[in-house]
Parts: sequence; structure tokens; C-alpha cells
Amino acid sequence: MNADRRRFLKRGLLGGGVLLLAGTLPFAFRTTALGRRPRRDLRLLSLEEHAVLAAVAARIVPGDGAEASWPSAEAVDCAGKIDALLATVHPDVGGDFRRLLRMFESSFLGTFIAGSPRPFTRAAPAEQDARIEAWRRSRFTVLRSGYQALRRLTQAAYYSSPEVFARIGYAGPPVVPQVPA
Amino acid sequence: MTGPRAPGRIVTGAELKAMSAQEVDFAIVGSGAGGGAAAAVLAAAGAKVAVVEEGGHYTKTDFNMQEAWAYPALYQEHGNRATEDLAIMILQGRNVGGGTTINWTSSFRTPPATLRLWAERHGIGDLDAATLEPHFAAVEARLDVGAGNPDDVNANNRKLLEGAGKLGWHPELIRRSVKGCARLGYCGMGCPLDAKRTSRTTFLADAIAAGADVYSDCRVKLVETDRGRARAVVAEVLDRAADRPRGRLIIHARKGVVLAGGAINTPALLLRSRAGTDSGVVGKRTFLHPTVPIVAFYDQPIEGFYGAPQSVSVHHFADRGARVGYFLETAPVHPMLGAIAVPGFGAAHRKLAERLPFVQATIALLIDGHHDDDGGRVDVTESGRIRLRYPLYAALREAAIDALGNMARLQLAAGAREVMTLHETPIVIRSEADIARIADAPFVANGHTLFSAHQMGGCAMGSDPRRSVVNSRGRHHQLENLWIVDGSVFPTSVGANPQVSIYAHARLFATEIARTATEITR
Repeated sequence: MNADRRRFLKRGLLGGGVLLLAGTLPFAFRTTALGRRPRRDLRLLSLEEHAVLAAVAARIVPGDGAEASWPSAEAVDCAGKIDALLATVHPDVGGDFRRLLRMFESSFLGTFIAGSPRPFTRAAPAEQDARIEAWRRSRFTVLRSGYQALRRLTQAAYYSSPEVFARIGYAGPPVVPQVPA
Repeated sequence: MTGPRAPGRIVTGAELKAMSAQEVDFAIVGSGAGGGAAAAVLAAAGAKVAVVEEGGHYTKTDFNMQEAWAYPALYQEHGNRATEDLAIMILQGRNVGGGTTINWTSSFRTPPATLRLWAERHGIGDLDAATLEPHFAAVEARLDVGAGNPDDVNANNRKLLEGAGKLGWHPELIRRSVKGCARLGYCGMGCPLDAKRTSRTTFLADAIAAGADVYSDCRVKLVETDRGRARAVVAEVLDRAADRPRGRLIIHARKGVVLAGGAINTPALLLRSRAGTDSGVVGKRTFLHPTVPIVAFYDQPIEGFYGAPQSVSVHHFADRGARVGYFLETAPVHPMLGAIAVPGFGAAHRKLAERLPFVQATIALLIDGHHDDDGGRVDVTESGRIRLRYPLYAALREAAIDALGNMARLQLAAGAREVMTLHETPIVIRSEADIARIADAPFVANGHTLFSAHQMGGCAMGSDPRRSVVNSRGRHHQLENLWIVDGSVFPTSVGANPQVSIYAHARLFATEIARTATEITR
């Protein structure tokens, strides 16, 4: 067992929980569908990790049926914004997040957790949603934590983007009144 | 001590060389309510003071009211601080001014019942309301804390006022630390008018005028000690954009070291330094006022984006006898904060997000530590990452469920069309009959949205050095010239928004430090 894996097992995801499932899944990215190129230079993630994150983000926001009127996760570059953010936090957090993406992509864990025997990036949208839902509802704390990490980071990147404000009836910040010195 | 000094200044990390060293009388770690108040008192007494702050220095022209900028720039871990299982999101400041830059201005004195509890259970009876009175008064004057103002009440808070009023729950107007407030609604992202009175614009400014220097972008990694005395603090100078070390700053402290990094960073600093941890209680009994939100949907727009974020509070349930109490306030409903608070993903979540303008958000802040709940625990991993664990004790879960029911009653009384809990499978409440269903839903980690904006404890005051870290004047039991002046010294949660408590305790402690400074010089 290498040091990274040992630390992860001991400390858990993003510093949390006890990982009860298999470890570092070295082959998880061999079959990853890379999709579109990143919109900016990546600071933390590999191309494969970015592709998994972009695929997850596309299911989290804005969701089915909204493509015509809502910006896509790709259009507001959720994955790129998350990459830039996590490049600045403690290196352990970035490392844990990369392992989380590896777990999410893994067809082995997909089968085990959600009966979904394909890499996440190659699964159909409904199957991807079922996989996210399985993490969300899991009896394992570490999977629920992993779901929350992906959900919150994605929704934070999306809903803090001015392109989305009008869709939720938010007119944006007011004009700051001029105050005499 | 010496006479008046020339004014000091704020030195950013970018201005520092790779290796820098300074010698001062007092090194203060952290520039929020505690660090600011202590710096002002010590600098006014003639001491040479250096304040070392991990976060960046920003002023009103930087505060653009955009969540995408504010949370990464102004909050701990770039807005990502949480308990290790991510069950409780931690909103905590990290900038020159600390939590006061991003708090929602609510200003309460430490409740007398809390001071009595500390006296009875923790042996600090000499820290009573009369002792604190002049410090509360001075802090309120400096922060321009006025009487509660009905004109501050926006639609979000008005529902709390009306609902609690109808039910006889004695809502009160909150006193706020503002002057010339335009009620824009963006206190949590830094005030673009400087109308909010923060540590940076008040006590820290006073300290700088009296000769203190503030070093921003410097993360203190160690307190150096020798033979029972604190000698220096060692900081990494950070490249602000990358948030990675680019140099080192050592502040040698002739007279003492004062810690004010907040209730998570201060115990972590002592643990990392392996200094002053003999009691075995450093980092234990960390309290969060775990905060349970609930949302109500109205037919008319509430627009919780705008207006003073908190202007009404309800303390009717603060004392529940043998059960954990709580108090009610509101939270602003900005797009990012609102979106991550409501559960789910995909189309179901999007449909909730579309209704945000019609949402009223009430929050219950659980008063932890006053009963048998021992709070959480801070420790540091081998690689230096701070870890916070916080179990959801049965007593807290009971209080959360009780609070959800009462908040739903309040919102229905205020005219809500429907109320929704933030369980992963939300419970929708349209009448009193629906409220019983709340108790049937599991209240578990990551099963309901929880956050904390108030971090306390971990370096508790007390009379017994085996069970506490500092005495009733913030002085460390083992390290004779080390003081702690932030919320970590509180033996339990405060039971009200803590900023004024922190300022006032820090001011009292620093006054005592200045009085005894000659005694501790050697």
C-alpha cells in the first residue's frame, strides 16, 4: 500500500470519514471520455480528472430540460473554476479531490455502488444521474461527503456566475450610493 | 513603556523579502475582533506591536458584492472550510479584519446566563458582567452600535418579526455595528461603503495610528517557546494569488505573544507548535452554534438578496431547561449561498433555485456546550492540515428537530404558502399537521444542511489548569507571557452572535496585559 493510499484510508475524503471501499483504482482513467478541451490552463487537475468533473457538473447544473434557456455548466466553466479554486487550498484537499474524481469515474466502483458498469464519462445521462443519486443516498458517510463536495463546488461555481443571475430572478448587486467624504 | 510612536502601517506579503525578521514588544496573531482590540489597547499603552494576519488586506473599493470573488478572497480555506465529514460548512473570515469584515453586524453582549454558567462550572467568577461592563460600553461606542432600528428590517427579517410576534415569542430588533448603513445587503462580502464598523476600520486603525504594524498574507506556523515563555512567532509569507509560501517572517516578541486567530486556528497553532498543550484539552470542546436553516416560500417576492441581512432575533427558546436551547435569526439569500443551502441537483434543484426571490430563510442557532454536549475537536494532521470533527450529539439533534418545527410554525404564522426543510428529502409543510413529520426524518451528517458562522472554544478559560488552557484574563496556564484573546477562550458557546463578546473580552485581557507589562518584562 503506498503512502498516499494509506493516508487516504486513514484520513478519508477531503479529510473525512473512513474509506471502506477499494483504494486508488489505478486504471480508472484509461477509458475516460475526454470531451471538450478545458477552457483555461489547468492548475490542479489532469485532463482526465477535468473531464470527469465536467461530466459530473453537466448533470448537477442546470439539469435536464434547461439547455435552451440556461447557461450550461461548460459555458460558465464550472470545472475550470473549481480547478482554479482547489489549486489554492491545502494540497491534501486537492489530492483528496483528485482521488474522489477517480472513484467517481471508476466502472468498478460504479458497479459496486450503483450497478453502473461503465466509466462515468461514458455512461448515459440517466445512468449518470443514478450514479450521483447513489452517492447522495449512500449509507457510507464518505460517499455522502463526496457527493456534497461535488454538488456544492459545482453549484457554488454556477450560481455565483453573473450569467446565471437573471435566470433566478436576481438583478445583481445594487449601485453603491455615493457618500460624501 | 515609551512615549507616543509614529504611526505604523499595513505591510502586505508582496512587500516582504523572502526572509524578514522584526523585534517588537508584542506579536499578535490574527487581526479580527480579538486581535484588533488587543492591538489597540497595547499600542495605546506605548508597546511596539506587530499584528500578523494570514489573509489579504482589502478595502471598500475591493468589495464588489460578488460571491464569486468574496468567498475565496475573504473566508478561511477560500470558502471551503467545513467539518471533516463536510456535514457543517464553516463560514469564518480570513483577511485583515478577520470575521468582522464578513459578519452580518449583529451586536450582542455576552448573555448574563452564559457568564453565570462559566462562573459556576468553569471557576471564573471574577469575569462577571460588572467587570466586562466598561469594555462592552467602549466596544459598542467604537463600533457605533446603536439601538435596534425598525428601518433596518427587510422583508426577510419582517417575516421573522411578524411570525414571532403573532406567536408571542418576543422578537427583538438587533443592534448593529454600522454607521451610515445604506442597507445594501452585502455585509457578508465586505461593506463597499465602510459603513460596517469592522476591526480594520476601528480598533486596528487605532492601533496603526498608535504605531502598530500589520503584516498581511503571513500565515503563522509556529510559536517558538523557551523555558515556559513564548519568544517569537514564525510565519510563512504567502503569494496571495497562489496561496503558497514564498518566504518567511519571524517576529521576535520581547514581552509576549497574543493569539487571536479564531477558535479553529488558535488551538491548531498551539498543537502544531507543541507549545502549551500540557493540559491535553487544547482543541477540545470546540463550539459552533450549529445552525439549522429552513426556507419558506411566499406568494410575493422577499428578495433576501437585499437589505440589512440580520435585524431581528428571537431568544424565546434559548433556555429550554435540561434540553439544548437555540435562538432564531435570518440569513441572507444570495444566489450561491442560497443554492448550496437547498438540497439536490439537476432539474429538481434548478426549480428550487428559480424560486429564490420568493424565499424567506430562518435559521436556528443551537446553543452548544451548555449541557452534556462536548462540542467538537480541532487537531492537525501530519501534513499540517487543520481537521475539525464535530459529532451531532442526540441532544443537538433533538434541539434541531424542535427548532425546525417551531420555525415552520413561525413561517406559517407569517403567511408562508409552504415551508420546506433542507433534508436531502425535504419535508414540505403547509399546515400544523405536517410538522410532526419532521421528527420522522433522519437528522444525520450530510442529511440536512448545517452551517456555522460562530466558532468558539478549544482554548477554554478556567481556574483549573488540568481542564482549561487560559485563566479568566486570557493568560495561558503554562506559558506565562502568552495570552489568547479570541473566541477560543469561551468555555461554551456564547448563546448570541459573538463579535461584541470577543472584542470586549480581548479589550479586558489586553488592559490587564498592559497593566502587568512591566512585571512580565525580563
